[in-house]
Amino acid sequence: MFRETAIKEIEAIREQYPTARAALLPAIYVAQREFGWLSPEAYESVSSVLGVPRATVRGVATFYAMYKHRPMGRHLVQLCTNVSCMILGAEKLVDFLKNRYGLEAGGMSSDGRFSLVIMECIGACGTAPAMLVNNDFYENLTEKYIEEILEKYR
Amino acid sequence: MITVTINGKEIKLEKAVTVLEAARSAGIKIPTLCWHEQLEKYGGCRLCLVEVEKMPRLQTACTLMVADGMIIRTETDTIAEVRRGVLEFLLINHPLDCPYCDKAGECELQDLVEKYGLTKGRFREQKRKVPEALEDPVLVRNMERCIVCTRCVRMCEGVQGASAISVINRGGHSHIEPFSGGRFDCEYCGNCVSVCPVGAIMSRLHRHSYRPWQLGSETKTVCPYCGVGCTVVVQVRDDIIKRVVPKLGTVVNNGLLCSRGRFGYEFVGNKERLTTPLIRKNGLLEPSTWEEAIRLIASRLSEIKDKHGSNAIAGIASPRCTNEDNYVFQKFMRVAVGTNNIDSTARTGFAGAQGFIENIFGQGATGNIISGLANSDAVFVIGGDPTTINPILGLQIRACSRRGGNILTVGHMKGLRYYTPLELRPSVNTEIALLEGIVSALMKKKGPPGSHPVLEARLKDLNAQEADLPRICGIQGKDFSRFIDTLAEAATPSFVIGKDMIQSKGGSYGLFLVSAINYIVNGRIYLLSERANEQGLLDMGCAPDLFPGYRPITYPEFRKRYENAWKTGLPDKPGLTIFEMMEAAKAGALKCIYVMGENPVFNLPHTKDVEAGLKNLSFLVVQDIFLTETAKMADVVLPALSWAEKDGTFTNMERRIQLVKKAVHREGMEDWKILSEISSNMGVRMNYSDAEEIFGEICRVSPLHRDLNYEEIEKGDAIYPYKGEPLRGSTDEIHIEKSAGREERGKLYLRVERPLFHSGTLSRKAPALVNICPEAVARISPATAAALSLKDGDIVRASSKTGALELPVAVDEAIDDSAVMLSNNFQGKGAFSLMEYEIDPVTKAPCLDSNQIILEKVNR
Amino acid sequence: MERVLLKNIENPESADINEYKKAGGYKGLPKALGMQPREIIDEVKKAGLRGRGGAGFPVAMKWTFASADPKFPKYLLCNADEGEPGTFKDRPILEKNPHILIEGMAISGYALGAEYGYVYLRGEYPGAKDVLNRAIAQAYEQGFLGDNIGGKGVRFHLAVHQGAGAYICGEETALIESLEGDKGQPRIKPPFPVNVGVFSKPTVVNNVETLSNLPYLIEIGGEAYSKIGSPDCPGPKIYCVSGHVERPGVYELPMGTSLKDIIYDHCGGMKAGRKLKAVIPGGISTPVLPPDKIDCPMDFVNMPKHGSMLGSGAVIVMDESVCLVKVCFRALKFFEHESCGKCTPCREGTGWLRKILGRIEHGEGVDGDIELLLSVAGNILGKTFCPLGDGAASVVQNFIKHFRPEFEEHIRAGKCMVNG
Ligand SMILES: Cc1cc2nc3c(=O)[nH]c(=O)nc-3n(C[C@H](O)[C@H](O)[C@H](O)COP(=O)(O)O)c2cc1C
Ligand code: SF4
Ligand code: FES
Repeated sequence: MFRETAIKEIEAIREQYPTARAALLPAIYVAQREFGWLSPEAYESVSSVLGVPRATVRGVATFYAMYKHRPMGRHLVQLCTNVSCMILGAEKLVDFLKNRYGLEAGGMSSDGRFSLVIMECIGACGTAPAMLVNNDFYENLTEKYIEEILEKYR
Repeated sequence: MITVTINGKEIKLEKAVTVLEAARSAGIKIPTLCWHEQLEKYGGCRLCLVEVEKMPRLQTACTLMVADGMIIRTETDTIAEVRRGVLEFLLINHPLDCPYCDKAGECELQDLVEKYGLTKGRFREQKRKVPEALEDPVLVRNMERCIVCTRCVRMCEGVQGASAISVINRGGHSHIEPFSGGRFDCEYCGNCVSVCPVGAIMSRLHRHSYRPWQLGSETKTVCPYCGVGCTVVVQVRDDIIKRVVPKLGTVVNNGLLCSRGRFGYEFVGNKERLTTPLIRKNGLLEPSTWEEAIRLIASRLSEIKDKHGSNAIAGIASPRCTNEDNYVFQKFMRVAVGTNNIDSTARTGFAGAQGFIENIFGQGATGNIISGLANSDAVFVIGGDPTTINPILGLQIRACSRRGGNILTVGHMKGLRYYTPLELRPSVNTEIALLEGIVSALMKKKGPPGSHPVLEARLKDLNAQEADLPRICGIQGKDFSRFIDTLAEAATPSFVIGKDMIQSKGGSYGLFLVSAINYIVNGRIYLLSERANEQGLLDMGCAPDLFPGYRPITYPEFRKRYENAWKTGLPDKPGLTIFEMMEAAKAGALKCIYVMGENPVFNLPHTKDVEAGLKNLSFLVVQDIFLTETAKMADVVLPALSWAEKDGTFTNMERRIQLVKKAVHREGMEDWKILSEISSNMGVRMNYSDAEEIFGEICRVSPLHRDLNYEEIEKGDAIYPYKGEPLRGSTDEIHIEKSAGREERGKLYLRVERPLFHSGTLSRKAPALVNICPEAVARISPATAAALSLKDGDIVRASSKTGALELPVAVDEAIDDSAVMLSNNFQGKGAFSLMEYEIDPVTKAPCLDSNQIILEKVNR
Repeated sequence: MERVLLKNIENPESADINEYKKAGGYKGLPKALGMQPREIIDEVKKAGLRGRGGAGFPVAMKWTFASADPKFPKYLLCNADEGEPGTFKDRPILEKNPHILIEGMAISGYALGAEYGYVYLRGEYPGAKDVLNRAIAQAYEQGFLGDNIGGKGVRFHLAVHQGAGAYICGEETALIESLEGDKGQPRIKPPFPVNVGVFSKPTVVNNVETLSNLPYLIEIGGEAYSKIGSPDCPGPKIYCVSGHVERPGVYELPMGTSLKDIIYDHCGGMKAGRKLKAVIPGGISTPVLPPDKIDCPMDFVNMPKHGSMLGSGAVIVMDESVCLVKVCFRALKFFEHESCGKCTPCREGTGWLRKILGRIEHGEGVDGDIELLLSVAGNILGKTFCPLGDGAASVVQNFIKHFRPEFEEHIRAGKCMVNG
């Protein structure tokens, strides 16, 4: 189950909406943060806090690409490969991440440091190619720049 | 009036409906897949696309509402092309395994492809592969056949309300999960099976055992399990039931069933069925002939009657038998034997509670239409979870919530937990205090309605202090206020009362309080009923104080009527209740009990006492379909025909009479037939040629059933008060016995669990239900588990004053900290075996709530 | 033209309420509060403001429907899901100029009689969430949000609702579903959100950029506003340009600026002087244009006349180094990934198209594949539940329409003529 603080947080979120159900997406975010990923326990916890059936929680959670259904590395690398990034070389960066860090799309590096998710457009097309590491945008990427960036995340 | 033109045909409509409905009303068929009349509109499959003039795009007929002057075309070349295109999309990932698929012959996809033709082989890529899943006890899933119409999900979420499945992932990765495989919230109702248009979800019970077109017969009848009385269609091949399905458009359950109704039929064909009469010889039950058995019973009964008087004999009737069986049973007891010692397990709650409530509000007060619950603006539930006891009624409560109604519960009802119930969970032994508090608060808020002086007089000295309640009952003051406000504002509230309320100490007082609440807010009452013909047996006079038509035997004018009808004198004193029978048997005053279709050893509390009583009898007859615990003790055992093998009628909890019809043939005699044979052997001739003739007699003698017949029943018109006259009378007194339970905080008390998947003796002979729920478990709260260092699956020894059992525990958040829940469904592991009881002086029901229980971990 | 929407964004503190005020912000709201709601809607109508989310629906019309519905409360939802590939026009507003949006929403809320608003923010903009939340808190503090806005007893509450990675949630009914805690799958229309929207109440959904126009529009009045840019759909417009131009980025220009000018003037022309091969003018769902078709005014009215659409104003410029089969393939991968799965043609068809394109792209195409692509696309177009499926189909149709030889070459040679 959730820690007391997480329950409080969800209850506060719930206050922003006329129904408990509307707090589902934010509550799943909280669960993801608390449990690291959406483990069965995470589903269970969301279900019992909001009174939403477990299958429903799972159905909703798996609809959205940003919820994680398996354990994740400490840092999440989200690299865009949509058209604007692709035509400016994003695919090469995918290869680079694989060769340099052993990171494959949807996978985790063996040291558990990074997970990689290939993204659809992340709204940084003017400064493509781009990626998010956790909550931070990095743009105009090159292989060298990626190395520099990832250095910061241990 | 709206006029639309479909395919050149002008159609006039009273109100705006969908184009699909408009077309159907004019006999124009538009193909559909995701649409289903029971489900919310979806518009996803795109098969029903039609052309509408002045609309630029094609429109889905299943979602578009007609507007005056609309011109619609449903079958043009363009549309046929579009539909072929959609079908092609559906088939690119479909295995096309029709020759192997059980759905073939009733598959909607197959039918459509046949109609529109197949575009062949343009898809060169790999098809999606999903292995057949057999992880559910009653379902087989072939998800590569799934077309993601989401009918099952909309059924499970929006109608059944279990929400056990959902579409997982999105787009082309969409699939439906987890059913019971994930042990989430599956209720095993199989309603998803009903709505699946293809062979993706099917019943496992008849897997590869027949093709739909090989069915020999289909019989519309009534479910044998609970008091809701759902209509079922029994499909048979070679005298074996292959499938039980619901039917759309039937009044009670309109296309829905619960797990018991749909999957619980296998007891009928069970190999353990009794086939021949058994007679105890030298202490052993030995096969015998009908002739010998009947002659023996007749002579032993006559002998006991001569020697000890008629009242040394008693009869136990059956809520599983038809009205006709029960009518003949009581007539046999009253006329051939000459006693009013007739009762049934309805005495464990339903009979007394109904009598009590009818005494206050008049006859028929508990016979309300089940579907009406969905239209209530508030439903108050107490004394048990309706979603497991009477599942289809439970669905109406969920529907009520979905339509914006409020659900108010006293105690926790697991099946309603997703329906935002306002829940008051009083601590142990304070339910009465809470109810008093509710009555007081409502009286203050709404004042006395003034229409029932007798009831109001009873409320005079009641003055619970609201302020004290939170402390006494352990509930939050603001929860209580919300509860009261909601109840007070309700315009059409309903009250649903389960047995736990009736079987608690002070139960009749509790019933009175709930009745008072109902009175103040002007609601209507539903009394949960666990057996298919519990109401019917009472209406047939299978009670120590009632004649057929629910007429009290103590009224001389009624007695006269029946004496004339049956051409005999009748005893004028009420007979023994089922519990009094056990006492009298133990004391030696009762010599013989005739049991029809009941298993008192198992179905009455305090097993040891019951056994002692029955052992003390000089003659015990049991007429049943299985060699039950009780039958094993009998001197003569008679094999009966089951529900599926005979004609007759059941009366459900709405007091609707419905036809039970023979679906399979089996050698043997109906219960009424056996009884008439014995009666005739005792010199009281009864020769009915069939059930309908008996029903004819019922309608002649019972003032309630006057002029009713099978034809009208079949039309669905046989709803109380039928055509006859109900029993009217004014209440001049309400008997109340205030007594309080003795439970203390910190101790554990045994509570009867009433699970969804079982129901007494029958269900344990139905393998599918046993597979769903295979063994007895003691359910405890997490706090109890922690206090006793127990975890899920640990074996405990559960002991009470009357005995001990060893069984596994399950930790369940829904259980109160003071309770150990144990069902009464598994041989040798029934909750009743650990229970003593006292009888409530008013309802004559047993109070079961004071049975303290001790759990000790067993180390193996 | 003086920038309105992206005013002051070079200022590192631009998201702060005081900086916003210093730059002239929170002037429109007080003015609006001095008007009747009806009058505001009239001004918006006079201004000819059209929605900037993609469809260009007249704002005043939508508002009139919602405000006429007697049900209460009403909701105002800001569509900040910005998911159309190539689009990054709302992000600078959200991250750098959040108060213009908040002010715009407060004005709109007042005009509509909506007391509650949510910004449905795409999950991919975590930074914007923090900025917005801080800005909202400031606006509450200074009385621009709350129960008594401007001391006039006007009520408007605002919260951010974060999406979780689903392009379809940009579609307004899917957005509503998602806000209610469900999967983002489009709803049956009618009823339209203006009557039965979020929590079954009348609801207006408008794009970030649309709503951000309100303060300025009210300040200068509808009449003056209508003089900016295209007469048919006036106002400032943020164009966001990516790909092979010298200076990609966001450009706030008068509506109707020609595509050619955007590329060659504002963005400094093609990168390294390379040759233009194709332009997607309004986000990936809009029809691709060949170089000879780019002399067109970028607005809602004129673009359809030139064979494409304004969409979100996201211009993706591609030079000769780009394999268009690959771009088309990548686009379909996107649509397949983002199909919500509700309707058959989109759920099954986008994947099928992607698979065929993948085959062609990988040199495994066969004769007849182009016809098959067109036929499958044809079976999708116009048959889906919502426009996402149409978008997927039209991408395939338009790439083949303008660049068929490239597809044929792929199939014939089994390889790409650009990348070998
Ligand atoms: C598939 C699809 C995706 C959409 N995505 C967005 C989006 O990301 N942002 C947006 O503002 N509108 C989007 N829209 C348009 C919205 O449905 C809606 O028209 C818009 O939010 C209305 O706001 P406006 O009138 O201010 O443009 C999308 C529509 C469709 C069909
Ligand atoms: S076109 Fe259909 S499947 Fe695709 S996104 Fe719209 S509703 Fe969903
Ligand atoms: S039946 Fe109309 S879309 Fe499926």
